[in-house]
Amino acid sequence: MLVEERAGDATLSFCCQGCHGAYLLISGAGLTEFYRRREWQETGLILQAFRGSFHDSHLSRFVYPAAGGSGIDIIIDGIRCASCVWLNEKVIGRVPGVLDARVNYATGRARVLFDPAETSPAAIFSQIDRIGYSPRPYTESAAREVGRREQKDLLTRFGTAVFLTMQLMAYAFALYAGYFHGIDPQMKDYLQLFSLMVTTPVVFYCGWPFLAGAWRGIVNGSPNMELLIAIGALSSYGYSVYATFTGGEVYYETAAMIVTLILTGRLLENAAKRRASGGIERLMELCPGQAQRFSGETLETVEPSELRPGDLILVTPGERFPVDGRITEGNSDVDESAATGEPLPLYKKKGDKVIAGSSNLTGAIRVLCEREAADSFIARVARLVEEAQSRRAPIQGLADRISAYFVPAVLTLALGTFCWHYAQGKPLGVSLMISLAVVVIACPCALGLATPTAILAGTGAAASAGVIFKGGDILERLSRVTVAVFDKTGTLTSGRPMLVDIKGVKGVPCREVLALAASVERGSLHPIARAIREYADANGIVYRVGTELVTLAGGGVTGRVAGESVALGSVSFMQRIGVTGMPDALESPDGAMVVCVARRGHYCGTLILKDRMREDAPGLVSYFSRAGLATLLLSGDRQESASKAALSAGIGEGVGELSPVGKAQRIEHLRSGGETVLMVGDGINDAPALSAADVGCAVAGGTDIAMETSDLVLAKPDLERLAMAHRMARRTMAVVRQNLAWAFIYNVIGIPLAMTGRLTPIYAAAAMALSSVCVAVNSLRLMRRRHG
Amino acid sequence: MASSLVALIGLSLFLGCGCWLFFLWAVQKGEFHDIERPKHRMMDDEERPEDLDKGKD
Repeated sequence: MLVEERAGDATLSFCCQGCHGAYLLISGAGLTEFYRRREWQETGLILQAFRGSFHDSHLSRFVYPAAGGSGIDIIIDGIRCASCVWLNEKVIGRVPGVLDARVNYATGRARVLFDPAETSPAAIFSQIDRIGYSPRPYTESAAREVGRREQKDLLTRFGTAVFLTMQLMAYAFALYAGYFHGIDPQMKDYLQLFSLMVTTPVVFYCGWPFLAGAWRGIVNGSPNMELLIAIGALSSYGYSVYATFTGGEVYYETAAMIVTLILTGRLLENAAKRRASGGIERLMELCPGQAQRFSGETLETVEPSELRPGDLILVTPGERFPVDGRITEGNSDVDESAATGEPLPLYKKKGDKVIAGSSNLTGAIRVLCEREAADSFIARVARLVEEAQSRRAPIQGLADRISAYFVPAVLTLALGTFCWHYAQGKPLGVSLMISLAVVVIACPCALGLATPTAILAGTGAAASAGVIFKGGDILERLSRVTVAVFDKTGTLTSGRPMLVDIKGVKGVPCREVLALAASVERGSLHPIARAIREYADANGIVYRVGTELVTLAGGGVTGRVAGESVALGSVSFMQRIGVTGMPDALESPDGAMVVCVARRGHYCGTLILKDRMREDAPGLVSYFSRAGLATLLLSGDRQESASKAALSAGIGEGVGELSPVGKAQRIEHLRSGGETVLMVGDGINDAPALSAADVGCAVAGGTDIAMETSDLVLAKPDLERLAMAHRMARRTMAVVRQNLAWAFIYNVIGIPLAMTGRLTPIYAAAAMALSSVCVAVNSLRLMRRRHG
Repeated sequence: MASSLVALIGLSLFLGCGCWLFFLWAVQKGEFHDIERPKHRMMDDEERPEDLDKGKD
């Protein structure tokens, strides 16, 4: 190791002065516990990713008044585990003047409460910066604020409904017992009155979202599921109120139960959806918050939005490009994985184009702006995602489609019943009660429960197997998919190169070539370096630590191993630094990368790396083909490699050279042809396509943006799970249909009885309980067996 | 009989209302906003008391 310090009788080793500095800061604050807690294996953000200058004039805009002082919300980049959260909370909390600091683990955002007289936002920001995380001010968008209020509102309604329904069930039990064993009429009156008291708020306050939704359905002339729920709840409530005052049996628990159970479903669904809403925000976070512009020869710090085409800016290593532009001076390796999905950094020199949102890795470069920030690559992708999301009309659910026929039918029957009994000379009140009984029995809980219970059980079982559905309607859409579209790099392939072959010149064994390569690649974060080290470790190769390691832009590393100079890099790099003994033609198997190794200026061997197809990819494709789906591969890569990948995975067609817009357009085209499209992808360049598809599926290990713009996330990078998800979706929809059938059987028996006015309370109660239990138990079958 | 029933139901509703108000207060306070972090926060409490004291000065 490069930096060492003696602490007591132990020697502490550090990879760099930066880590040593961080250690001194952390141990000085008495927080050495951190080192015991850290678990991740990556090295974190790139060095110099942070600039340590924060100005109160800029930050004061984000400060808001809070109880006992001022508050500010901070996005902390670089949080990757619970110990980071712990460290940040402690370190921020120890800035004098900070009253409270809470870091949200899920979002990586801190909410800091401080005394403005004692400290300033800049002091807090520099403290976070000093421990190696990158703080940025965060403002909650209006949309988010609304979302959070809705969640609170729903939670309040749900809690109230549960509380009151629990009370109500106690009264209902007493009334059931009274029905069978006799009850004092006065007692019965009291119980019914109490029931009325607790049910009224459940129906009209907790159930308000459904009542409003039902009203919208009526106004729009499209009877929906909510209308069915509202009719069920209101009719049994109305019937019961009438019975309470005129004598008879009450069905308050039906009304309250419908509302409570549907609210439960809503709450769970919302929790899943809330996580999905941040996609566009995340995308915009890729753009840096400030840029350094040349005015003459001096630099000024400006907001990216102030940059105009023709401006000259400086981009230092570790920074992201704020706008699209062209390099005018300097050269560097650029990580464009955000834009193209290409996992390897590209070498860029004067005259080359750079893309907003991609990051500059190795050298400081001057860039001539070519587009405004609002028109940059990232902004365009964000707009595409937004457009696709807003254009995607919700598919009318199965339950909604049934309601569209069912509601008018029931209402017609009820009206007919009323007219018939009234014409028979029965009093108005009695005729009305009989027709209300028809509505009550026709809209039992079971119908309202048929879809939500099956979908909850289905999504629950899928989640425990590592497939996360963002919302119940996704299951329904997935079950109807007709075309499966795949991205190539990172989805069908592992997305990072793996060492597949080693060749040494005569007299140099392969092991030695590998050991030399691993020695000079020690400590590098480059995907190729990682692949080489992994292979060496897996094969038990012991390698020395190289010294004097220098990474040169343009794909090469030089250093010393055991006193000998060693170089590693591409063929052109080798030629550039004047390596002798290079073979004339280095064969490059198609799609593979060739990395040469030289010792003391002489070529001594070659490593071949390849981005390999995931092992489970062909299995998934053949599953989809067997299930009757068409398959298609869309890639940003060359047409030739797209076709090859499609062929080896068994996919029908491979289309290459597509931009993010092109991918989304292909999907739109398929959809307009009447297909239901599933898109599987992992990169930012897939985000518009994922939002445009009927079902977007992201694979864990891909980018956050892909996961947030998709409907379905595979929690482990295991494609077999997608096949399981598809089977699960089809099974769930089968259960929904069975449930609806059950509910209908009870209706078919119950409705004629109600129409003739012979519906006895005992039969009604039994029918409702039985059909609900049947439906719930049938749905629970989905959870019992593990599928796939 | 009936009056004791009313009294008991009234009492149960009264007690239940206390819990309900507590729940409303918790929702308003944003108690359910982040349900991820508290599970991890529990793990932090192994910190020794002298560390805490050091942090206060």
